[in-house]
Amino acid sequence: MQRESSAGYLTRAPRSSGLADVLEILLDRGLVIDAYVRVSLVGIELLTVDLRVVIASVDTYLRFAEAVNRLDLRQDDSQSVPDLFEKGGEEMAQTKTKGAVEGGMDAIKEKIGLGGRGGDDDEEDDDKERSGRGSRSRGNNR
Amino acid sequence: MSKLYLYGITRPREVPERLREQKIFLVEADERAAVVSELEEGPVEATRRNLLAHADVVEQLHEDAVVLPARFGYVLESQEGALELVALPEIEHLLELHEGTCELTLRGKYEESVLAEVGARLQPLRDAYRVSPSVDAGIALGEAVGEALAARRAYDQSLVLDALGPLALDVVVGDPASELAAFDLALLVERGAVESVEKQVEELVSRLSPPLHFRLVGPLPPYSFVRLAMPAVA
Repeated sequence: MQRESSAGYLTRAPRSSGLADVLEILLDRGLVIDAYVRVSLVGIELLTVDLRVVIASVDTYLRFAEAVNRLDLRQDDSQSVPDLFEKGGEEMAQTKTKGAVEGGMDAIKEKIGLGGRGGDDDEEDDDKERSGRGSRSRGNNR
Repeated sequence: MSKLYLYGITRPREVPERLREQKIFLVEADERAAVVSELEEGPVEATRRNLLAHADVVEQLHEDAVVLPARFGYVLESQEGALELVALPEIEHLLELHEGTCELTLRGKYEESVLAEVGARLQPLRDAYRVSPSVDAGIALGEAVGEALAARRAYDQSLVLDALGPLALDVVVGDPASELAAFDLALLVERGAVESVEKQVEELVSRLSPPLHFRLVGPLPPYSFVRLAMPAVA
């Protein structure tokens, strides 16, 4: 489904293939019909995630400071910088995301007969991409 | 009578077998059709599985013809609701508008080495932090790194927009979704222009990577370009 090219810096996917791909386009975009189909719209109860990340937090600043310091000390040690990244920032992001997103996902109830692509195999990659989301309940949009 | 979960709106046609097996069907009127499935009980929860299922349906249908994807979570009380919806003149307008279009999403993300790049000019603050790694010195340095990163982000985004803008009919610029996210773009393009965009993106990769990683997804239904005008106040 996906292929890597351009020496690994471009991921190409023909279709949405994970949570990170669909969160914003389905929850924040897409056709909004509330104002048109007033009578017949059933209430929507969404367990959604807040897509906006607080970028300017003290936490972030301290992490940046620590990272700049570390990267600077290691600037002659060229082979290890990407490795550090993999094991540092990504892991942290993943841990935080687990709390917010997968906590909600644990509550999966197959209430509706939506067709499924099924399988959880592509979950890891997507969850790494966004961090620090808070979980909140968004009620009826009307 | 069952309620109907709404996936999107399309032109009347045969539903692919794979979707028919999943009980997806069309509610048609004139040249428009709501893509729905029956729903015994609500609410519909925004779980990963449900979100991907919704995307799967509209993306599969979009492979052959225009689809206006609905935002996740709409449930119609009955077929009448679906008919009411597809009868709207605004819907016809959007279907015509998107007859030959698709959306490509392009996201950029930095690897952490970008922090060393943007921090290269912050020697005094780095020295101060190294000599005395206090919280205050850390915040001062981190804030400066954050500012430099924001400037870098704005610059790289403008390069990407300059390169891809001319190929797109429309562009939606999203917010960066994580600390090291660089940009989040949705491009509306003619279906025939996908290849040109791919080539341009590869060219951008050769210019901006590392530290930038790109993810290009599509051709997708025009998720980000189906806003209905607000109805006139009665």
